[in-house]
Amino acid sequence: MAGGGAAQAPTRGPEAFLHPIRKYDLLIQPDAGNPPCGRVLSIPQKASPPDVFPSKSTASHRSKAIRKENMSNRSSRIRLAGVAIAAAISVAALAGCSSPATSSGSASASCEPSKGKVTLQYWNTVPGMDQVVAVWNKKHPDVQVQIKNISNDQYGTLGNALKAGKAPELAQVGYDELPDLRTQDAFVDASACKAAVAAKSKFVPWTWSQTSFGGTGVFAYPQDTGPMALYVRTDLFAKYGVQIPKTWDEYAAAAQKLHAADPNLSITYFDPNNAEWFNGLLWQNSADMYSYSGGKWHVTVDNDKGKQVADYWQKLIDEKLVRTDLASGSTPANAAFEQNQLATYIGAAWGYSGFRDNNPDLAGKWSIVQMPTWGSDPASGDWGGSSVAFMKGNKHLYESVEFNTWLNTDPDALALENKLGGLYPAALAGSKLPALSQGVPYYNNEKIFDVFAESSKNIDTSFTWGPTQKTVNLALQDAMAKATAGSGTLSDALTAAQAAALKSMKDLDISAVAGN
Amino acid sequence: MTEFATRAPRVVAAAEGRRRRNGGPRGGVILAFVAPFLLPFLLFYVVPVAYAVWQSFLVVRRSSGQYGVPYTTFGGFEQYVQVMQNTEFWASIGRVALFGIVQVPVMLFIALAMALLLDTPLLKIKSFFRITAFMPYAVPGVIAAIMWSFLYSPQFSPIVDALQAIGLQPDFLGPAGVLWSTANISTWLWTGYNMLILFSALQAIPQEIYEAAKLDGASNWVIAWQIKVPMITPSIVLTTVFSIIGTLQLYAEPAVLRQISSNISSTFTPNMVAYAVASGNNYQQAAAISVVIAVITFVLSFAFMRLTSRKAGL
Repeated sequence: MAGGGAAQAPTRGPEAFLHPIRKYDLLIQPDAGNPPCGRVLSIPQKASPPDVFPSKSTASHRSKAIRKENMSNRSSRIRLAGVAIAAAISVAALAGCSSPATSSGSASASCEPSKGKVTLQYWNTVPGMDQVVAVWNKKHPDVQVQIKNISNDQYGTLGNALKAGKAPELAQVGYDELPDLRTQDAFVDASACKAAVAAKSKFVPWTWSQTSFGGTGVFAYPQDTGPMALYVRTDLFAKYGVQIPKTWDEYAAAAQKLHAADPNLSITYFDPNNAEWFNGLLWQNSADMYSYSGGKWHVTVDNDKGKQVADYWQKLIDEKLVRTDLASGSTPANAAFEQNQLATYIGAAWGYSGFRDNNPDLAGKWSIVQMPTWGSDPASGDWGGSSVAFMKGNKHLYESVEFNTWLNTDPDALALENKLGGLYPAALAGSKLPALSQGVPYYNNEKIFDVFAESSKNIDTSFTWGPTQKTVNLALQDAMAKATAGSGTLSDALTAAQAAALKSMKDLDISAVAGN
Repeated sequence: MTEFATRAPRVVAAAEGRRRRNGGPRGGVILAFVAPFLLPFLLFYVVPVAYAVWQSFLVVRRSSGQYGVPYTTFGGFEQYVQVMQNTEFWASIGRVALFGIVQVPVMLFIALAMALLLDTPLLKIKSFFRITAFMPYAVPGVIAAIMWSFLYSPQFSPIVDALQAIGLQPDFLGPAGVLWSTANISTWLWTGYNMLILFSALQAIPQEIYEAAKLDGASNWVIAWQIKVPMITPSIVLTTVFSIIGTLQLYAEPAVLRQISSNISSTFTPNMVAYAVASGNNYQQAAAISVVIAVITFVLSFAFMRLTSRKAGL
């Protein structure tokens, strides 16, 4: 740059960006022959950006003394920075490392009544649960329960609390996340409490199998379930003269007929971002994905029965008989139902209030029947449902078991949970609730809960979830989304999920092999 | 002028020497002034970053049993090897790079044009336009994404209706279009902010230059492109660097659009990859991913600044 060091000013701070013009940047020279009024000869084409990162060239224009002082300032600053960073890293390092545990955290803890007043923390996501807890708190002044809603990032919150050692005594955990949390050593075994062991007889068998991890301990109580069924728009089926399907073959045939009769009508929608729903369909076909033997997990996410389900839905998608642009429970989906664009909905027991609340105009047009089956035998799957788990570090097991037993088997508590939170109880006493024995006005006064109770009986008890279910669900969703966008098939999605399962288990040092 | 140059540093040196001898600002006073910043900075910025870097060198191991009890132990560069082999991660880097190469120049060009327009005497209601151009920045990113998701939705969008009325079939949320729909949201959000930075830089240009240029017979167009723009190059560099950094950290807009479009995977942007891995409880690998993202961001920003400073003839 012309003028060399003359135009160099000492290093500038951030304000340089707002005031880029310095007097010396312009070369104004008096014109020799003309009056001395300064004539702009040239303006630099681009103003030089100020030195945010001062280069060594600026130092070369200064005297040695300045350079030395700058060096010593810089080196002392560097030293200071180095000390700070070293301190920070050592603080972080002390916090970061943990040593191998000497004993299994899920070992059975003792079950003695605590002395004095006890406060239990219960974290959950069900609306209205605070009112249920208030009923308990009134009757039990010595065992008070504090409830916290963690609907926003339920499992992230629990995972962080566990890492910080500040987990609550009780927390709501979905059945499909129980093994995932168990691999984070999240639970404590309440088998030492007689009441906990005795509770087995109070629940639907497959739910107890899930929460006891196949009968190996009492880690949680089942709270609610989501037995699946087929919601049918009887008016549309009647209008186009189509029989309500009982098998999946009949369902595909009905899809053809309905779409041919009305191009705007599809039999249902396929949401690729709902792995939980798809897992329910896999469950119906007994497409078992995980088992444990010989000290290893055996991963079979891409088993043949799963592929049978995937190929079936891929065919419906290819023939454009199902919508793929709607997300479960979204406003566009509700609008599509309202506008008679969808004839059925494959949903769970807790879904009945969705139509009642979002589509009041469709009252009386719905009926709920058993899901279509693969063969002649009745079979069903579960979508959703949660348990209430005893979390690690629980020092009041006796009181926690007391509260958990009341919460999930007491008829009054169950009735309130059903009314306020829409829960379909996992307890056997739940099927005898008055609310669940009556007809539901929205559904033509049909006794829809009898259908769900029947469905619950046909749920495969041996279906197991995987220890990295969250990651596998995400991978499955991503791959299914690619399939609905046209690249790959749903069968490929299961293959991708299988690979994701094996990799995620390897990353967390869980020994796993593919295949049975 | 050279005389001035060699004299000035010596004067400065002498002044500093004098100050030292009089025992100027003591270390304690300096610390007292800087502490209110330094303490939270160390606690909430330096320590978490150091913690993340440390975590990225750990691996998860497990005691025996079907579930076992997990613990962490030093694993060297194992997590980084995993990150290098993670095809989804590099695909996401490629995706935001493509996003950045298109969106950043487009946005900055619009911001520059708006700033230049605001700077002319032509515009009568300057403050009104300045405020309305800046207003999108006041909308939180998530809210903006929700709002735009309605404008993109085939069922609800008046824009889609209007385009369909003239025979077009826009697919804002389709596999090809969803990246650019996200770019549109980012542009809408940040153009006003960048325009304001560039406009402030334009305000700092002394009026004498315009007078001199006018004397030379320069038209408004020439003044705009050959005087104003070169004079605010540092600000343009600044906004570009900020935009590069922001693009690499893209998260809120795709995460919201993911709720209504199945064409946004859980690994759409690098930050989403880190988040997905963390939600799978592999915090150590998520830390490694975050460190790699930070390094890439640093390298790109630094390279860009080097490139522009070299081009400016320094």
